[in-house]
Amino acid sequence: MTAEAPPEEAADRTQDSAPSPGVRAWMARHPLAAYAVRRFGLYLVELWGALTIAFFFFRLMPGDPIQTLIQSLQQNYIYNAQASAEIIARYRSEFGLDGNIFSQYLKYMEKLILHGDLGPSLISYPTPAQDVILRALPWTIGLLGIAAVLSWIFGLALGAVAGWRRGKLGSRILTNLSIALSHVPFFFVALILVYVFAYTLGWLPARSAYDSNISPGFDLAFIGSLLKYGLLPGLSIVLIGTFGWILSTRMLMVPVLGEDYLVYAEAKGLKPWRILTRYALRNCYLPQVTAFGISLGFIFNGNVLVEQLFNYPGLGTTLVTAIQQLDFNTILGVTDIAIFSVLTAVLLLDLVLPLLDPRVKYWK
Amino acid sequence: MPMRILTAVLRTIRNSPRLAIGLAILLVMVLIAVLSPLIVKGIGGSTDPLELAAYERWLVPGPGHLLGTDQFGRDVLAMVVSALSVSLQIGAIAGVISTVVGVVVAFVAGYKGGWIDGILSTFTGILLVIPTFPLLIALSAYAKNVSLFQVGVMISIFSWPFAAKTIRSQVLSLRSRPYVDLARVTKARDLEIITTELLPNLLPFIGVGFASSALGAIFGLVGLEVIGLGPGGVIDLGQIIFTAISTGALTLGAWPMFVVPIALLTLLFAALNMVNIGLEEVYNPRLRGVAGE
Repeated sequence: MTAEAPPEEAADRTQDSAPSPGVRAWMARHPLAAYAVRRFGLYLVELWGALTIAFFFFRLMPGDPIQTLIQSLQQNYIYNAQASAEIIARYRSEFGLDGNIFSQYLKYMEKLILHGDLGPSLISYPTPAQDVILRALPWTIGLLGIAAVLSWIFGLALGAVAGWRRGKLGSRILTNLSIALSHVPFFFVALILVYVFAYTLGWLPARSAYDSNISPGFDLAFIGSLLKYGLLPGLSIVLIGTFGWILSTRMLMVPVLGEDYLVYAEAKGLKPWRILTRYALRNCYLPQVTAFGISLGFIFNGNVLVEQLFNYPGLGTTLVTAIQQLDFNTILGVTDIAIFSVLTAVLLLDLVLPLLDPRVKYWK
Repeated sequence: MPMRILTAVLRTIRNSPRLAIGLAILLVMVLIAVLSPLIVKGIGGSTDPLELAAYERWLVPGPGHLLGTDQFGRDVLAMVVSALSVSLQIGAIAGVISTVVGVVVAFVAGYKGGWIDGILSTFTGILLVIPTFPLLIALSAYAKNVSLFQVGVMISIFSWPFAAKTIRSQVLSLRSRPYVDLARVTKARDLEIITTELLPNLLPFIGVGFASSALGAIFGLVGLEVIGLGPGGVIDLGQIIFTAISTGALTLGAWPMFVVPIALLTLLFAALNMVNIGLEEVYNPRLRGVAGE
């Protein structure tokens, strides 16, 4: 979906700015390269726009993070000196909160782009926000990434079968179930699972990412504990995610099943299984790989609540903690990372897709 | 004219059982919501079942209280019924606002084309990639004591780009149809073409836009509330789930407090999604029978 719209816009823009004849001739000779350049230009514009909107949005939030910091310092270190104007001014400049909002913006962007620096965090001051985020990132990628891959695989397999056996009772039940459940928030399922398996039956732990009695390390005990603690949050994502993929795979499968080359394959006497996997499903792969890439970028969005419920030490929990303590730098950093990953995933797919599928052509 | 629309709607529903089921579920929920003051009164009799300490605390479900009572001694069934009404109102307000904004942006962008389309679509695209949840959380900082309508407006700020995107692609495909060209040749003005030629043909897609924005809005608010950042004073289904979690209903075994709101919201999401897919099936012949027979 996203794949079709941007190139037209990019084309519009290049026409408006009327490149010199030399550029135009070069573009005509190298359509793929010209497309890549245009697409990358759009990527930069979108990235800049989204980061800017996010920055101003969060800066306009009410509340004074410096006061919060000083309060928490006072509580933690029995820091009895009254916060003098001088100290406040120093913290302001350290957090990039001095000067008017435009100079703050320029400074923030400069630090972000040139140094990859998001500024100090509040939740674990003076650790920089990027370190806080990098510490949480592996947990999120581990939990959500594995859950996303599993739901994609299950969804593709079940969706293919649902399409192949369309009209049969089982397939119809599966399809209708998917329609009904594919938009249910993961969080609801997670809550029910926690109640049943953690609180009522007591089989699985309800909180945290691993047993705190086991020291983290690359051994069986720790990995076992990781799996045990990750099972419930992972399961809640896989359960609902699978339904979404079933639906979209089935939608791609059914038109393919009417194609002539499938009739031909059947006439050749190929086994149905071979036709399904080698002929029909193959045509659904590519759109589904694209969709998977895009969904990986967005995955963060719907999973904050699941992480928060399980107190999983990932990005979602970090975000919620940061918000509760008005930690602007971390909040903005998490948002920036989400923006960056979505846009980059879409960009890479748009660039790679024409190479993989000869039917995909964005340039003229 | 109204008769014609009514028969068209009835015909559409007859063609798609999925759409019919979805609409029926929605209708029942709206009815419950509209009648919620009466239902609440019926449950309580002479006392107000939503009053603090109206009954004993943490009563288990029984004949007197079908779903038990909460930590303040309020009747859970009465709470759920009135909260359903609030959730639906939020969905409707946010759905209407984001659909209207989305339709206007989509029409201007899709119909005018050119650089206007370029700017508007890039802007919509940018808004689409910013994760909504952190932004909503930031907005909630402003919204400590706000009315239901304000909450709806707040949430729709982030849900209109989805509606705009869906509708724009449809405008693009309709714009070049022969009957639009005909209208243009007969010197009809832009606004006239949009209202008489394009809009009626886009109604089902506008319906899809509305259903998905409403869905997104209700879920967005539930998300905020579940982490305890919901606007005060607005008690919807998400707020009940949050209270259930934060007061330890999970460990106390007071399951109706979160299972019932979750079941209701799940049913609501299922109904909205059925309406979505049903509408697309009916009006997009390519999809007919594709999404299921």
